[in-house]
Amino acid sequence: MYPDYSISRIILAMLLLSLVGANGHVLAGKQWSDAELALLKMQWIGSLPELPADPGNRYADNPAAASFGHRLFFDTRFSANGKVSCAICHIPQNAFTDGRATARGIGDTSRSTPTIIGVAHSPWFFWDGRSDSQWSQALGPMENTVEHGGNRVQYARILFDDPQYRAIYENLFGSLPDLDDKKRFPPDASPVGNGKSLRQWQSMTAADRDAVNRVYANMGKAIAAYERRLMPGPSRFDRYAEALLDGRIKETEKHLSRQEVAGLKLFIGKARCVTCHQGPLFTNHGFHNVGTPDPATRKPDYLPAIIYMFMDKPEPDQGRYLGIQQALSSEFNCLGKYSDAGESECAELKYANTDHRATLGAFKVPTLRNVSRTAPYTHAGIFPTLRDVVQHYNTPPEAPVGHSELRPLGLSRQELEQIVDFLDSLDSPVNANPELLRSPE
Amino acid sequence: MKHIDRHLPKSALALATVFFLLLMQTLYAQSSAPVRSTYEGKHFDVSYDSGIKPLPLNRMHWWDIAIKTKDGKPVNNATISVYGGMPAHHHGLPTQPEASPTGDGQYIIKGLKFSMTGAWEVWLDITADGVNEKVVFKLML
Repeated sequence: MYPDYSISRIILAMLLLSLVGANGHVLAGKQWSDAELALLKMQWIGSLPELPADPGNRYADNPAAASFGHRLFFDTRFSANGKVSCAICHIPQNAFTDGRATARGIGDTSRSTPTIIGVAHSPWFFWDGRSDSQWSQALGPMENTVEHGGNRVQYARILFDDPQYRAIYENLFGSLPDLDDKKRFPPDASPVGNGKSLRQWQSMTAADRDAVNRVYANMGKAIAAYERRLMPGPSRFDRYAEALLDGRIKETEKHLSRQEVAGLKLFIGKARCVTCHQGPLFTNHGFHNVGTPDPATRKPDYLPAIIYMFMDKPEPDQGRYLGIQQALSSEFNCLGKYSDAGESECAELKYANTDHRATLGAFKVPTLRNVSRTAPYTHAGIFPTLRDVVQHYNTPPEAPVGHSELRPLGLSRQELEQIVDFLDSLDSPVNANPELLRSPE
Repeated sequence: MKHIDRHLPKSALALATVFFLLLMQTLYAQSSAPVRSTYEGKHFDVSYDSGIKPLPLNRMHWWDIAIKTKDGKPVNNATISVYGGMPAHHHGLPTQPEASPTGDGQYIIKGLKFSMTGAWEVWLDITADGVNEKVVFKLML
């Protein structure tokens, strides 16, 4: 009755097969357009490029330096009170964050502890990008009075006095200066801060200051060599994306729930998250003003509004505007004498935008991998939950300083929940030897 | 079943059409931020060549620029300032690119980077022989 019955079946089957072969997703085509699939592929961990070389750190991929850096990272002796190490804020079990709104070392800081996982892919470090390398970043907290609170001469002397450390250091970097000489190397001396340690630093000869700076820079290079190994492994989202891109449509249901898929669709679509949280690390490594409230400029609850109105208020955090100036003037930047990079390898620093319109109130776009394990959120930890964060993007307020780039999203309450649910699928355990996730002692 | 079967050839045709449309879309999407392009201005014809296809996201790269007069002569000694950004997002370029001459009407712009997907503009403010022209390249990344 229908002579074309079998032929049309065959044609249809062949067409479907060819579509599955070429674009495995077409069967699920109702769910994802080609443009969306291209975005999903961009976010998939399989698109993560090879870890870029760190031209400023010639020890970046040296295993002995990484092993030394691993020890330094967990060693609380490198602090003013013997109780602070990198790992007390960057707690491995918390995706290398501390669960606090703002970090606490010797004292309280004004910024939240970011994760370290995957950040070696970024050209900038700290929320305000005041370091242009992972090795110079590692040095900042070590001398910050409210973080480790110690100083570079003290740290160099710890290496000098500990026979194991001294042997490891000298094998890697060459001999340490004669730190036994307390006259040449006073106990507490640093160009950072003021008062006694600065005066002692200025009393040292230029050559001795340079020798200590070099030891300090090498400590940063070893720590960075360790941190570079902390790369994220695949998350549920990645398994979903991989199955989808491979045309294993049935399998995709195993990895993400319908609610999470709906959230993912919003993430790369209506909610526009992907414009900045773009690429396999869910960040473009850029700086943007998203107008998050600044706790420094918030009225304390105990003060009546009428009184607060007439009070002198602290300046809001200016973010990248000051951060780029600090990076440009840092003795440990890419162009400085302690960097191993040639001038042509410092393009990020050389061509960085310093204009206030691009930088005022802008902060680094954080990775969203492991985001459900890194609450509270934003540079000052102002939002306790991811729901608060998405709500902020949905109905953005005026920026405390500069101009917010956000526009209202018009998400329904249900859509908001779907995005939050999707973010939960980005748990990406560190893809490294588990020994790197605990103290080497 | 029978009702569906009768319409199978039509479905097949529809699917084939969808497939070709998708293919065209992919081709179009790749060419929306071309590797090279020419802007024909009032005083100058200006072209860029990024040498990288497609234009890279989040990667510092360089553009070769050629400036010619309307009658095709290379323009030397031009001063070029480079700026741009994403008008829809009210922000500029993430970097401060710099242009320098390489001879024979050719220039190089170093330090270009596009940090987001979406519509970008790169403006070249060119002054040569007492004439000024602002040239814009619109790119969809």
